[in-house]
Amino acid sequence: MNPRRLATDVMLGGVPIALSIALWQALDSFGYAPATLLPPPGRVFVRLAQQLLSSGYQQDIAATLLRLFAGFAIAVVLGIAIGLTAAVHPAVNAVVRPIVRVLAPLPKVALYPALLLLFGFNHESKILLVAADALFPILLSTYYGASMVEQKLIWSALAAGTPRGQILFKVVLPAAVPSILTGCRIGLVISCIVVFLAEMITSTDGLGHVLVTAARTFQAVDMFVPLITISLLGLILSGLLQGLRSYLLRGFPEV
Amino acid sequence: MISWRALLSHLAPLLACIGLFAIWQVAALILDTDSFPTALDALRAIPAILGDKESLINILASLRRMAVGFGLALLLSIPLGLMMGRNRFIAAFFNPLLMVIYPVPKAALMPIIMLWLGVGDIAKTLVIFLGVSLPVIYHSFQGAKAVEEKMLWSGAAMGLSAPQRLLRIVLPAALPEILTGCRTGLVLALITMITSEMIARQSGAGNILFNALDMGQYDTVYAMIIIIGAMGIGLDAAFENLRRRLVRWSEPVFELPLSFA
Repeated sequence: MNPRRLATDVMLGGVPIALSIALWQALDSFGYAPATLLPPPGRVFVRLAQQLLSSGYQQDIAATLLRLFAGFAIAVVLGIAIGLTAAVHPAVNAVVRPIVRVLAPLPKVALYPALLLLFGFNHESKILLVAADALFPILLSTYYGASMVEQKLIWSALAAGTPRGQILFKVVLPAAVPSILTGCRIGLVISCIVVFLAEMITSTDGLGHVLVTAARTFQAVDMFVPLITISLLGLILSGLLQGLRSYLLRGFPEV
Repeated sequence: MISWRALLSHLAPLLACIGLFAIWQVAALILDTDSFPTALDALRAIPAILGDKESLINILASLRRMAVGFGLALLLSIPLGLMMGRNRFIAAFFNPLLMVIYPVPKAALMPIIMLWLGVGDIAKTLVIFLGVSLPVIYHSFQGAKAVEEKMLWSGAAMGLSAPQRLLRIVLPAALPEILTGCRTGLVLALITMITSEMIARQSGAGNILFNALDMGQYDTVYAMIIIIGAMGIGLDAAFENLRRRLVRWSEPVFELPLSFA
């Protein structure tokens, strides 16, 4: 994409975002929405800056991030391991496929009460819910990526003297990396969303809990702040993952 | 005469279900705590829920809101996605906005929307609508972008106007991809519905689930989980069936869409 086209695209893309903020401000300024229901954008962003500097809020962010990363890490490890094994091992495949077929369209949030009963109201139940939700995109993308590796690549590696046992790690896994990273990106955003929702349903700390507390006391400003924070976290984390992707895939053709 | 292999592949999901129930049963028998009833106990509690008039009405009301939210989302998202796929300026206009909205937890908007619109049907339907829209827009966008230019040129040469081309060339060509988006959207609609009801705790299937949890009726909790799970699997299977009929000419690259969660 040439720089001029990029510039027009950025300008065009900025318009609806600017317009929505302007509309938001206008609704307040012209008195269509009372500030108690829809606080003006300026006040929300000032409050966001204040909160980001306060230590209590930072602890809430830390609690959310801890659960998010723990759950996401479990999902990445399990998803890649199961996906790869299912792709190369026919017997495992025959077992995993129907189970995934059943579990993937199941709304994982519904499992949350069971997780609460089994693992308590602490970190564990939330981490497991995040892991359960992020697992399937990663598992599926690993599986599809690994099963679509070109047979010729494997033959060439074998002909070049790679031992059969190392084919998985030297050929299949690297060839599946672009697909795995796509799955990880979907899984990461889902993790952000799920951890927040789990904290809203039952929690004593974390960003989701901040929103619920604000909702119970009708503090509209404080309801917007955690929502914006979690969305920013989602954007930042997927940006970081994008960076990791372009680093890991620096030799790959454009995908 | 169906071959054994085909029969087995048809029965595999069913066998998987039975296997999962068996694991549950064994785990519950080993753990033996009140908060983890056996699979059989949970299954036995299902008729009681479905037989109860009030909870049945609640579940049906949930499903109705879900259908309305899903339908409205499709009506708006598919044309928007298709136009974004065919016009670079429209795409550049909407893409950053959608990127910003993407990581917002839609069900978490429930408290704010309730503040504006009350706890009625409108708030819940709106949340479901928001949850479904994004994947449908995204997939329609991808589908429309991949339409072969030559077909559009031929259409234009034969005198089709731009809206006609969108309807008669782009829509059918992008249909497989659109339906993949709808499939993800359908599962997401169910998830958003349950989550928003868990958060708002006023009525619906999610509310029954958490009320049972609060009252310590563990059989009901697990029975509700089975019911909701079955709804997810059933809706998905039904939609997959419909999709296969509509776009018989195109097999999807992936058996399951990646964005499932």
